[in-house]
Amino acid sequence: AWRWPPTEHVVPFLTQPCLPALQLDSGAVLFSPNAICRYFFLLSGKEQDDVANQWLEWEATELQPAVSAALYLQLVQGKSGEEALAPVREALAHVDQGLAQRGTTYLTGDAESVADVVVWGALFPLFQDGSCLPDNLGLLGSWFRSMSQLAPCRAAAAAVLTPEGARELRAHLQRQPVPSPAFKRPATNEPEEEESAE
Amino acid sequence: MGRFLQSSSVLLRAGDSPLLPFPSRPLSEDGGCGRAQAGGGGTGPAGEVSGAGEREQTPVLQTNNGPSLIGLTTIATHLVKQAKKEQLLGNTAEEKAIVQQWLEYRVIQVDGQSNKEDTRIILKDLNSYLEDKVYLAGNNFTLADILMYYGLHHIMVDLTVQEKEKYLNVSRWFNHVQHYPGIRQHLSSIVFIKNRLYTNAH
Repeated sequence: AWRWPPTEHVVPFLTQPCLPALQLDSGAVLFSPNAICRYFFLLSGKEQDDVANQWLEWEATELQPAVSAALYLQLVQGKSGEEALAPVREALAHVDQGLAQRGTTYLTGDAESVADVVVWGALFPLFQDGSCLPDNLGLLGSWFRSMSQLAPCRAAAAAVLTPEGARELRAHLQRQPVPSPAFKRPATNEPEEEESAE
Repeated sequence: MGRFLQSSSVLLRAGDSPLLPFPSRPLSEDGGCGRAQAGGGGTGPAGEVSGAGEREQTPVLQTNNGPSLIGLTTIATHLVKQAKKEQLLGNTAEEKAIVQQWLEYRVIQVDGQSNKEDTRIILKDLNSYLEDKVYLAGNNFTLADILMYYGLHHIMVDLTVQEKEKYLNVSRWFNHVQHYPGIRQHLSSIVFIKNRLYTNAH
């Protein structure tokens, strides 16, 4: 779910430009790539279980910042190999372990689900043909390559990562603040976690 | 099914959604979330939520009928199903996607805000989004309202009277949610004045 170079104001209520966005027939607008993917899967009759929800939340909160930092190293600072992958190493191992624990071909089962699409979509700009995935994460590698061979994924990759798309991606990253490798988020004082169950 | 927006697209109509009263449906009226239990001997009715290793603030719930669940919105969605309040997750594909979108906004934008400017953008955006809506998903009260209310409480409590008027739609929505039965609990009630004091607030 890569936030594609957001330069245009298509979502009227958001201050920051945001793409992709999906305008529904009702007039409502979805501006979260993960919510757009969820919507398409829901239309096809597939409900989301806890496992899929957990992958999607993890992708948004953990994987995205890690991938952004790695892409910044690669495309803006010209780093390569191990050095460029340092920010995502933990996240990649997490996907590999998730596949190992469930013993399934895909993240939530034996068929591809919204979780696979979202996580693959986030990782694709980093690995593209899959050849530079770490060798020691075999399950991740075979999962990534089988996702990349699906016709809709191939079509999406061809549509987005054109030479022009790659230039836009770099230009977008150059406008971003330098990502912090630690991804420490500020502490909050919210009391909600244990509150809703009395 | 909808269409992807191009930069030239135009968008939401404002002002065609009447404010409706809503039925009271407290989250926990039938015993709430009693089936999720702590793994390590805890007996709290909601299960024991502990922090995950990597990110200090990420909660983990050990359920007694499956693997542990990680993440605020993942756990909250699970608890809603346990309480048999699925309507809080949305009734249609569209509403479900919108609810999950605002749950994600809550954990990324609201929890990620780190300075005054971030906070201002969140309030401004929510204010224009809520202009023609009673609740985040439209006319139905959902989990998105509950978690956004909890996430914004510490921000709203610090707003001045002028700021509450500036973010009038957020204030109206927040006031609805804090009076929704069973939601506010021990959180402080925030005062909103019904009539405008400042006629040039915008």
